[in-house]
Amino acid sequence: MNLRKTIDSTTIGDRILLIFLLLVSFISIIFIREVLPKTRDVIVEVEGKIRYKYPIDTNRLVKIEGPYGHLSVEIKDKRVRVIDASCPNKLCERQGWITRGIIICLPNRITVIVGSPDGAEDRAVDAITG
Amino acid sequence: MTQRSKVRSPDPRVLFSIPFFLLLTVYFLLLPSCTQKEKVYRKSRILMDTLVTVNVVSDSADKAERAIDIVFDEIAKLDSMLNFFSDKSELSIINKNAGLSEVRVSQETIEVIEKAIYASEKTDGAFDATIGPEISLWDFPNKIKPDDKTIRERLSLVNYKLIHINKERSTVYLEKRGMLLDLGGIAKGYAADRAVAVLKRIGIKSGLVSVAGDIKAFGLKPDGRAWVVGIRNPRAIGNDDDIIATIELRDAAISTAGDYERYFIVDSKRYHHILDPKTGYPADECQSVTVIAKDGVYTDSFSTGVFVLGPERGMAALKEMGFEGLIVDSSGSIKTTQGLKDRIEFKKDHR
Repeated sequence: MNLRKTIDSTTIGDRILLIFLLLVSFISIIFIREVLPKTRDVIVEVEGKIRYKYPIDTNRLVKIEGPYGHLSVEIKDKRVRVIDASCPNKLCERQGWITRGIIICLPNRITVIVGSPDGAEDRAVDAITG
Repeated sequence: MTQRSKVRSPDPRVLFSIPFFLLLTVYFLLLPSCTQKEKVYRKSRILMDTLVTVNVVSDSADKAERAIDIVFDEIAKLDSMLNFFSDKSELSIINKNAGLSEVRVSQETIEVIEKAIYASEKTDGAFDATIGPEISLWDFPNKIKPDDKTIRERLSLVNYKLIHINKERSTVYLEKRGMLLDLGGIAKGYAADRAVAVLKRIGIKSGLVSVAGDIKAFGLKPDGRAWVVGIRNPRAIGNDDDIIATIELRDAAISTAGDYERYFIVDSKRYHHILDPKTGYPADECQSVTVIAKDGVYTDSFSTGVFVLGPERGMAALKEMGFEGLIVDSSGSIKTTQGLKDRIEFKKDHR
């Protein structure tokens, strides 16, 4: 059966149904792209350069080397924390689990960022002073 | 004409042809990326020994990323001039030559020092960038308090009136040997100002830059609302996101000085990094001071100055300058300037 015959054999109802289905598909694509929340990523930067990028929903333990020493980043149950830091103050370790935001290790110049892949997300406050 | 021939008319055939639908599909798939709406793009980096975060509103991720990288470069440049701990910075060279000779420096360094002197004058020396000889005595991570005699001896080296600027020669001279200029209480606010100036120059219409707690915002967010900044609870327990209030920031800067950043507690007394330049000991009348003004260079320095002045004299200084502010005094009670009352939203338990 060639193309023209196929088109000719459809009724108005078929065509309306086809348009309807196509429209539903298009709207779904746009909806998924724009409306549904994006998966958060855990981004590890060393001296301003992205070293690792992992989805937050996969549990893992990563050891990271910085200019001062090492630290480990644990991703578990959609939360992130720093453990086993070699810096003196261990402020990054003391911060504990985070679900979004940033953990920084100043001596090692390592930042662990939890955020949407494009770096922006809706927040109640844009910054905190203090 | 039969019913069938009507259906065969050229228009519906084009309209319902498969190539047409393919084109339509491609159009819809490409539509979101071609007509991208404005979004907030954010990136952070460790600079000036702290976390710098830049938010810009842009319709393109590439444009935003380029703009943010230019800001990072600008702040790195300022850090290379003003860093107290780096041997090569202009500031270190000024300090090494204290009591010896004047040092030729960049316009930026001159500008920050000039503004530091201005903040000292306006706070009756409560903010003083020559606090270096005293602050360097304290070892906060190891909880070491210097002995009283050394603190007293070094007080003669703390005096902003001993800074000499020669604008014609672009030089700075510290009058006494042993003097140490520490721009830690002003440089971050200045960096936020410079960052915003850079963003505006390259055509960004709206953004927010935070250099640690020194924040400057301009323009509005894509939803038409102002940028919102939270003020940290000075007695937050373990949660950095614990805030006492939020404030909308419209083309302005905000800074907070608090006794909770670098401190230790010995015999239930808190020793923190905001020293009174007149005594060499931590100022103890406030827990935190937040200042809002047009320029970060002033919010940064005045937050420290007002903290040292204490709630009463501090409020008077803010009023005289026409700045807005919020003071949490040593008992935890909150006072705000008149102009802030309608703009601030307190969180529960902090009214």
